[in-house]
Amino acid sequence: MSKTLIVGEIQQGVLREATLELVAAARELGGDVVSLLIGNGIGELGEELAKQGGGKVLVADNPGFESYTADAHAQAMRKAVEAESPDLILISNTPNGWDVAPKVAAALDAGIVTDVFKIEQDGDEPVFTRRLFNGKFNGRFRISGTPRIATVQPGARAPYEGSDAGSVEALDVTAASRTKVVGVKTAEAGGHDLTKAEIIVSGGRGLAKPENFKEVLQPLVEALGAQMGASRPVVDAGWLPHNYQVGSSGQIVQPKLYIAVGISGAIQHLVGMKNSNYIIAINKDPDAPIFEVADLGVVGDLFEVIPALAKAVNEAKGN
Amino acid sequence: MKKILVCLKQVPHKDARLDVRSDGSWIQDDNIKFEINDYDTYALEEALRLKDQGEAEVVVATVGPERAAQALRTALGMGADRAIHIWDDALAETDGLGIAKALAAAAKDENFDIIFTGLMSDDANCAVTGPMLAELLGIPHITAVVKTEFKNGDVEVERELEGGALEVASLPQPCLLAVQTGINEVRYASLKGIMQAKKKPLDKKDLGELGLDAAAVAPKLTVEKIFVPPKGAGAEIIEGPADEVASKLVGKIKELGLF
Ligand SMILES: Cc1cc2nc3c(=O)[nH]c(=O)nc-3n(C[C@H](O)[C@H](O)[C@H](O)COP(=O)(O)OP(=O)(O)OC[C@H]3O[C@@H](n4cnc5c(N)ncnc54)[C@H](O)[C@@H]3O)c2cc1C
Ligand SMILES: Nc1ncnc2c1ncn2[C@@H]1O[C@H](COP(=O)(O)O)[C@@H](O)[C@H]1O
Repeated sequence: MSKTLIVGEIQQGVLREATLELVAAARELGGDVVSLLIGNGIGELGEELAKQGGGKVLVADNPGFESYTADAHAQAMRKAVEAESPDLILISNTPNGWDVAPKVAAALDAGIVTDVFKIEQDGDEPVFTRRLFNGKFNGRFRISGTPRIATVQPGARAPYEGSDAGSVEALDVTAASRTKVVGVKTAEAGGHDLTKAEIIVSGGRGLAKPENFKEVLQPLVEALGAQMGASRPVVDAGWLPHNYQVGSSGQIVQPKLYIAVGISGAIQHLVGMKNSNYIIAINKDPDAPIFEVADLGVVGDLFEVIPALAKAVNEAKGN
Repeated sequence: MKKILVCLKQVPHKDARLDVRSDGSWIQDDNIKFEINDYDTYALEEALRLKDQGEAEVVVATVGPERAAQALRTALGMGADRAIHIWDDALAETDGLGIAKALAAAAKDENFDIIFTGLMSDDANCAVTGPMLAELLGIPHITAVVKTEFKNGDVEVERELEGGALEVASLPQPCLLAVQTGINEVRYASLKGIMQAKKKPLDKKDLGELGLDAAAVAPKLTVEKIFVPPKGAGAEIIEGPADEVASKLVGKIKELGLF
């Protein structure tokens, strides 16, 4: 019988939904499921996870876990692995998850696969599917030896929705850390709020030059009465300010219409816009992953399509 | 004098046409252009800025085949002082842990004060090598670094969380920082830099010279096959002359009731 250890995550005092997604993935694989929850003063959250996810919940409760640090969290995970000898360890691929998981893998000399969105069982061996090349390809992976470690993409599957009689057990562990957390700065609000826009026209690296945002994209933005958005490299290069960025480290938007221009569709961009009501993507590469989420995809050169579209919109509006 | 290591990977060029090999084992990479992984250029720039501010030696290291020497030469041209090129046929199939072990073996007697890596490689997208290297060397690390400030013996960094939030953290040196894109503005190699680079040391090392063997870097993670992801169920794809495409799009936008 195999055993899966889930590492839960607490964010601003509540269990992350991603944790229940891990529960769902683990339960689907079968075998025993044990969860680990790390934090300070988290007894109630442990009970909650036991009730929502079932199985045994190990609670590592220590003032040293007040803020996440890789050092302290790795200690708790290694202690749980020692106590439970799991065959598989599932961790959410969040900023904390991707920070600590490879450290634990190296410490245990264990194989790790990151940001997986599908886990299938082939006999008694899990097979993991994840994106490669920023989403241009997918790959199926296997890990030899145990424990196997996988970080799982948040939102890739539905959370577990059961109610079970799980049990809580304290995990006694020290929480020393060389890294000290000084504080958290929340996102600066205002300026260019894309979350309320009806139509967003976003430009990516395909626009090639900062001038093209003004000369090529802006006329379409104006014709549609839309707001302009951007992918991360555009912001990294300083072509547009950060409050134009759509994606996991920018704004999460849900307009009636999202037009992605010269954007490949890396997962970190997709999570920011895939729930838009209608998505049009314009890309010269027919294999661009943006077409995975598009309702209407145009395979073509944006420098031809966008000016033609701006003109056609103006004509249709009688401008 | 501070000693700084920057780990960089040579990856397919952003504009290279990528196709899957017929056996699905990886991409067809015989005749494509390569470049330094984007994240790693930011890591290198961060190191070079430290050097600009005071006494520091910047060493660049890569694990990769013959062609990867070009990435090191580019880095030397940008201002790094010396390079370590690690390769061995036994590394061809290895995984992130194997790469980290090779880098750790090369780094262990050098006593670097700071090690920079990128957050993630643009081909494999694993985001594991940095934290693994730190663990193997017994030093603390932090990922997704978007700001650094070097104080006496400590480094204060900002780590990117989600939705634009940032964590401020402090690490003692030595430590490893895995850098996120956009942290700085990356310089180009000057002509003078490229000329000077030719005289800078570039050491080649195989597994034996690092005190490792093939078994030590045998992969635990193996790829079964790679493939183009299926298009979304609802995706309608159109192609054709721009004005025809434009009028179809206008029709659609009207249907949505947006004008
Ligand atoms: C932790 C983390 C957080 C991140 N957060 C974000 C985020 O919030 N938002 C975000 O966007 N990214 C984010 N990223 C980066 C993400 O992984 C991608 O690197 C990025 O989204 C790529 O941007 P792009 O599509 O503009 O560029 P590319 O991937 O380079 O794509 C450019 C596209 O333009 C197309 N193109 C080029 N020329 C033309 C033309 N003439 N006509 C038509 N098409 C053309 C190309 O075919 C290509 O598909 C994050 C990454 C990490 C690791
Ligand atoms: N073959 C390699 N040689 C040197 N550094 C590497 C190599 N592979 C990965 N790295 C470093 O580790 C970071 C993360 O890569 P990865 O774990 O492959 O996503 C990269 O940005 C590099 O800094």
